[in-house]
Amino acid sequence: MNGTIPAPTIEYALLAPMLVVFGAAIIGVLVEAFAPRYLRSAIHKPLTLLTLAGAFVITIWQARTGIPTTPSAMGAVAVDGPALFIWGTILVLAFVSVLLINDEGHFVASAAAVPGSAEEERALTEGATHTEVYPLVLFAVGGMLLFPAANDLLAMFVALEVMSLPLYLLCGLARRRRLLSQEAAVKYFLLGAFSSAFFLYGTALLYGYAGSVDLAKINTALGSVGGQDTLLYIGVAMLGVGLLFKIGAAPFQAWKPDVYQGSPTPITALMASGTLVAAFGALLRVFWVALGGLEWSWTPIMWGVAILTMVVGAILAITQTDIKRMLAYSSIAHGGFLLIGVVALGNNQQQNASALSALLFYLVAYGFTTVGAFAVVTTVRDAGGEAWHLSRWAGLGKRRPLVAVVFSLFLLAFAGIPLTSGFFGKYAVFQAAVAAGATPLVVVGVVSSAIAAFFYVRVIVLMFFSDPAADGPSVVIPGGTWAVGAVAVLATVVLGVFPQPVLDLAHTAAQSLFVR
Amino acid sequence: MNPTTGPTLVDFGHDPLWLSIIKAVFIFVVLMLGVLFGVWFERKLISRMQHRYGPNRAGKFGLLQSVADGLKMGLKEDIMPRTVDKVVYLLAPVIIAVPAFLAFSVMPFGPMVSIFGVETPLQLTDLPVAVLLVLAMASIGVYGIVLAGWGSRSPYAILGGLRSSAQVVSYEIAMGLSFVAVFLAAGTLSTSEIVAKQAGGGTWDVFGLEIPQPSWYAISLLPSFLIYAITMLGETNRVPFDLPEGEGELVGGFHTEYSSSLKFAMFMLAEYVNVFTVSGVAITLFLGGWRAPWPISIWEGANTGWWPMLWFFIKLVLVFAFFVWVRASLPRVRYDQLMAFGWKVLIPLNLAWILLYATLKALRVPESNKAFILTLGAIIVVGGLAIWFRFDTLLQRRREAKAAQIEEEFEQLREEPEAGGFPVPPLDLPHYHGVLPAGQASTAVKEVTSGSN
Amino acid sequence: MELYVPILVLAVLAAGFAAFSVSIAPFTGPKRWNRAKLDAYECGIEPTPQPVGGGRFPLKYMITAMLFIVFDIEIIFLYPWAVAFDSLGLFGLVEMVLFIVTVLVAYAYVWRRRGLDWD
Repeated sequence: MNGTIPAPTIEYALLAPMLVVFGAAIIGVLVEAFAPRYLRSAIHKPLTLLTLAGAFVITIWQARTGIPTTPSAMGAVAVDGPALFIWGTILVLAFVSVLLINDEGHFVASAAAVPGSAEEERALTEGATHTEVYPLVLFAVGGMLLFPAANDLLAMFVALEVMSLPLYLLCGLARRRRLLSQEAAVKYFLLGAFSSAFFLYGTALLYGYAGSVDLAKINTALGSVGGQDTLLYIGVAMLGVGLLFKIGAAPFQAWKPDVYQGSPTPITALMASGTLVAAFGALLRVFWVALGGLEWSWTPIMWGVAILTMVVGAILAITQTDIKRMLAYSSIAHGGFLLIGVVALGNNQQQNASALSALLFYLVAYGFTTVGAFAVVTTVRDAGGEAWHLSRWAGLGKRRPLVAVVFSLFLLAFAGIPLTSGFFGKYAVFQAAVAAGATPLVVVGVVSSAIAAFFYVRVIVLMFFSDPAADGPSVVIPGGTWAVGAVAVLATVVLGVFPQPVLDLAHTAAQSLFVR
Repeated sequence: MNPTTGPTLVDFGHDPLWLSIIKAVFIFVVLMLGVLFGVWFERKLISRMQHRYGPNRAGKFGLLQSVADGLKMGLKEDIMPRTVDKVVYLLAPVIIAVPAFLAFSVMPFGPMVSIFGVETPLQLTDLPVAVLLVLAMASIGVYGIVLAGWGSRSPYAILGGLRSSAQVVSYEIAMGLSFVAVFLAAGTLSTSEIVAKQAGGGTWDVFGLEIPQPSWYAISLLPSFLIYAITMLGETNRVPFDLPEGEGELVGGFHTEYSSSLKFAMFMLAEYVNVFTVSGVAITLFLGGWRAPWPISIWEGANTGWWPMLWFFIKLVLVFAFFVWVRASLPRVRYDQLMAFGWKVLIPLNLAWILLYATLKALRVPESNKAFILTLGAIIVVGGLAIWFRFDTLLQRRREAKAAQIEEEFEQLREEPEAGGFPVPPLDLPHYHGVLPAGQASTAVKEVTSGSN
Repeated sequence: MELYVPILVLAVLAAGFAAFSVSIAPFTGPKRWNRAKLDAYECGIEPTPQPVGGGRFPLKYMITAMLFIVFDIEIIFLYPWAVAFDSLGLFGLVEMVLFIVTVLVAYAYVWRRRGLDWD
């Protein structure tokens, strides 16, 4: 009783980006609680942007002062090269998404009111807005930062929940098409809760197998613990389901189109970029660090998942008539391409590093392009909100050539056409996979890229070679969306024409692989 | 066991099964008799407070009144309404009664005694998490309330059940928080050890003066005790917090449909046993447990052998008398007042007190960094006050706005000539058939038949 | 484990008594059938038909339930901290202050949004 429990050592400086984001989120809640209604938005916008920028600066500073080679915070968080690279990526993508969120008219006036009811009408006329969006986004971003950096499964689970819960809520806040938005939120919440349960159950089984939730210790146990393989395999499968769900890999992709469609488009942009990056970071860390020694067991399954994901994503995208659903299926297909990189794990450190750097580059390239694409979606509007149906996009190239050209650029980047960022992303990942002996997978990847290119080009054709409808949608580009579009175009072109600096950066970050 | 402070956790778990059964039966019998006595005692005491005699026909001083009531309850017709959810309806009384008894299993009645040659503490059992067991049982009791309301399938019952459970869970938080200071002081959750810690206070050294510390936590942790005393009334749905049974609005609350017979007796039983439980917790955690208070404790043998059980039951009767006293003195509060008091006053006060006490306790550790702790304490106090003032001004503003609005409405009513200065309902309400307001065409009024709104 | 056996004994005793009382209740009293007696009691008016499955109830109760969970979990974290306060020392105090402050931020938000008001 009288013995003292030693206080844990926590490297606050290393965790600073996360702490800054979480701290700002809590300040945001206080602003919600105490600031008068007319001031809230004016406080939130600079606060959120400054926080994300500040966290990014700290991340850069950390990367320059030297990357630690041991896990921090008593082994709970690993701030290593890949983690810092992913942090930087997420923070920039979140910054850009927040610029998109800042523009008026994306969020509902009163989420609790029944759609079409008198309360909703009253909230609209009063000019009420849910400025809670900002703290929620910050909480979600904080979770995204912790998720790929978590070095034990419990910290990872906490991060998963901190990341997901605000997103569930944000999904239901779209201003237009309320019922669709609420449906999306409920679907995402139920399926997400289910996948969290899978993750937690897998964690419990792996703990039962290895006697630890620490990723490195699980890896050590792979070689030393015998006779409990059932526990191990079921645990790995459950954990895999939980992680693959967050990526939206087939056969766990069903939520993605519905949720991407129903959510407010800026939130879709955040989810499609930030969440995907964070989830891939976590997936890589779990499968490479904790289960690296089990490679022969999970690689064939991951092959199957990757093939299925690419094919399902590419083929189902063809049949879509809704632009947001099409982009969602495209995101599924890209998840499949990224999974090719995950299976490119070999025994050679150099080869692993090049696979990792290829994945990191792909994530950056895809993240910017997808934010840009969703930003364009927000600008094309009908009387009832954004025009999602593809037929409404017909002839856009004739009425607003610039918007159409920008959107075409993003679609070409998705397709992986040379001189866009998507080309080098795919090229690097495929090259790493070939080096690891996954050539059949690469063949499937190339074929599904070709299928995907078909529907991307179809939209371009629709925009430029159809006649515009007489009552076509109008194009409204608020200031923030302008900036987002410009940044995304710049990133897509620069990474496509002159990718070397970022490739080098990714290579440096991946050089030492994940810390153990 | 320490001969001066009584049994601790290591003294438990050695009883043979027959001894556990004897103890369990003893507790069961004591609680059953206690309920009979409690009903009589409450009625008698409150009668004297109201200048009445109370029950005085059945037996000497009416002592057999509650026995007679119990028998009558058993001989009444058992009514089960047609609409109820049968399984839930029958299960609810059991669910509410069983945890009420179980909470008593960790209540310490006295020190080590010899029963048929076995040295054993006068307590059924003790756990490292004993107080948690009491709280857990209180939480399970809420299921009984909710299920009784839900299974009855009648508006009164379901509203009563919801209200009651919302009230109980709200006060449970304040109750749980009020224990934290006790655990900080005692460093344990085991009931027997908490009693042992209250055996004798140390001394405070204030400028060279040796001031004896009070040993009861009720004195040294007075804020916690006051909050607990309030929450135990709320937790057991007693006056002034007996909203669930607000006869005027909800008939019997969640047990409206348990109109007679032994099923209703279970609810009655659980209510009284719960009162005994919270009283027992108050005694154990705050009032020195089974230990004799000062004038008696001068006598050497007061805290040994079987005597402490007597002190415990005397304390129990006194705390129960407090319940009755409160019932005789205070009116019932409104529901919004009840919830506001629980959530907006008790919880923040409690948290502030816990932090303050922890800071003081940290200050007493010799090697700690005093400047840092004081800064921390100052920040807590200043921050708490700042938020409080901000709330206070806001609430004040809101209250004034509300008062102005009421005043305005009142003015408006006064100006109407037919109202004569008194707020009476207008004579042209739509459900007064046939009478149309002057100047209104008959087609403009849609007739609403009575009873539908 | 021996610590829990006596609780089990008392539980069997109490459950047996309660189940016995509830199950003999129909046999000890008279039976005089009357249609109105078997209706739900609503002070004499025709019983309101209750929707299948219980229907809806005010959202307020759900907010209370959620807040209860938040604070109950806070209490569960406070108990071990309080018991081990002497061993944890200053670090424990600072961490607990941070934890309580974080919960209080949410609490202040709920308060300001009238989540604690009943009408």
